[in-house]
Amino acid sequence: MNLAPRSAASAPDAPLLELKAIAHRFGGFQVLHDVSFAAPAVGITGLMGPNGSGKTTLFNIISGFLTPTSGAVLFDGRDIRAENVRRRSLDGLVRTFQTPKIFERLTVAENVMVGAFKAGRSGFFAGLAGLPSARREMTDMRARAYETAQRFDLGAVFDRPSPLLTAGQRRLLELARAYQGRPRLLMLDEPSSGLTTTEIEVLITKLKLLAEEGIAVLLVSHDMELMGVAQAIHVLNFGRIIASGTMAEVQEDAAVREAYLGV
Amino acid sequence: MLPNKTSLAPPGIAGELPAQRLRTTRPSAAALSVLALAAGLYLILPLVLERHAVDLLVFCGLYAIAGAGVGFLLGQGGIVNLGQAAFYGIGGYASAYCSARLGWPTPAGIAIGIALSLAIAALIGRPILRLSGYFLALATLALGIICTNIYFEADFITGGTLGVPGVPKLAIGGFVFDTPEKFYYLVWPIAFATILAMHNLMGSRVGLALQAMRDAPDAAMVMAIDNARLKLWIFMLSSGLGALSGSLFAHYVGFVNVDSFGVDKSIMFLLVPVIGGASVPAGAIIGALFIGLVPELLSALGDIHRVLFGLALVASVVFFPDGLWGLGRSLTGLVRRRSGAAARGETTP
Repeated sequence: MNLAPRSAASAPDAPLLELKAIAHRFGGFQVLHDVSFAAPAVGITGLMGPNGSGKTTLFNIISGFLTPTSGAVLFDGRDIRAENVRRRSLDGLVRTFQTPKIFERLTVAENVMVGAFKAGRSGFFAGLAGLPSARREMTDMRARAYETAQRFDLGAVFDRPSPLLTAGQRRLLELARAYQGRPRLLMLDEPSSGLTTTEIEVLITKLKLLAEEGIAVLLVSHDMELMGVAQAIHVLNFGRIIASGTMAEVQEDAAVREAYLGV
Repeated sequence: MLPNKTSLAPPGIAGELPAQRLRTTRPSAAALSVLALAAGLYLILPLVLERHAVDLLVFCGLYAIAGAGVGFLLGQGGIVNLGQAAFYGIGGYASAYCSARLGWPTPAGIAIGIALSLAIAALIGRPILRLSGYFLALATLALGIICTNIYFEADFITGGTLGVPGVPKLAIGGFVFDTPEKFYYLVWPIAFATILAMHNLMGSRVGLALQAMRDAPDAAMVMAIDNARLKLWIFMLSSGLGALSGSLFAHYVGFVNVDSFGVDKSIMFLLVPVIGGASVPAGAIIGALFIGLVPELLSALGDIHRVLFGLALVASVVFFPDGLWGLGRSLTGLVRRRSGAAARGETTP
């Protein structure tokens, strides 16, 4: 499998993603205060927090859907605040959504193929003219999409219209599509919500697989079981990082226990 | 009777690898013969029909070209365009002015009309395509209304309400399209080529991106799709087709005035894909035939025909949300399922 390009310039232990003093305000409401943390280029980093703690806002800031009121977002050592979502995706920053955003009128195959859009070449006029190169490209995209679909257990439903998928398959489809975009950092927003225990187990194995392939994963969730796959966890509450560490460390943290259990 | 195992196996397990199969599957023998029949019918129609009917079919072809652009925006881009008559008018006036007033060869006027439309679509598209849904539809409606007013006021080019008379017949390389029959053999191949090109685009990487943008714009952006640029391209494509259709109209009728380029025309162009079906480009052909022929067929019933046409419109939108194309497809699907069941020896209810 062809892996995402790796920048030779970055040192092996330099963080891939770095947030520096991010603050964000919606009108008069301060959602994030001085949030700083880093995600390394290898492994799974978790971002945990109760509902309304600012996780999704932070996610939107990292992926480019929101511009923070202040603070810096560094990707591979570069400040990417001025880059739009598309540009960040080309850099290798790919995200999923809390409610899976599937291309509903396309098949599973086509959904995964769209993931590889950025690797394609043929343009608008080649498409209109139906040039052989444009057709060949689609055949290649489809073949590669099939490989990916199989990895994510979607081989048997490859030609099905996407609305026929189960909730678990929709999550896997979003994951497969994101994977097809050759991410360097894959950001997953609550990927286990709405899934059964069995489906979550499948999701966990897939996440481990991605991490083993050298894709850095940033995982947002309040699902403790899913969070177990993360090597480092940052806990957000009321827009502040209240704890950082491994799962065991974080679970012992008094502030975290208070935020989650109120004890 | 035992069920046929191979037909029940999921795709990819039996026979060919799904990876090698695109959704644009090879047409079946039945589809090909239907196509050949339609082509034969198309070719001989002017020989057997009276001139008035051929004339109507020419108009249908013009509607199909302009309507296909609007239909592509609607079906593939999720954009409601209520301003196509603006570009239809640009084409019509460019052709009329260049050929009737300036005496230029007719293809020059057509080219100028298309170029002008593309330029205006590029300029106006940039700001208005940031909008979506109803707001975008209203912006295109405003564009149509503004252009109608300009056509009315700029009488030094458009002739205002009097219009531009004496637009010469279209002549390409010495061949003059001076009868409805000749025009019929020109307009429809253009319409077919338009549909084919759109069909090609849908099956390409950019077409896939377009459909992704329509279904989930945020997710499309994350896949590095440039939504704004895609929308602008298809808006320009649609506008260019509107201009081409308007130019052909001017040369065919030999006279243009502001009445031909009003908001009612824009609505008609939008109805073409709405009635025919916007999910596939070919829906525009069915819609154009409906719009062009049904009022004529109903007119035999007297003044009530306008009401009946209105009812037919409402009925087709309410009962066939994916247009007549969608209706046809669900009917053939039904027949296929039934005959499949019959072949397996099951009784049809």
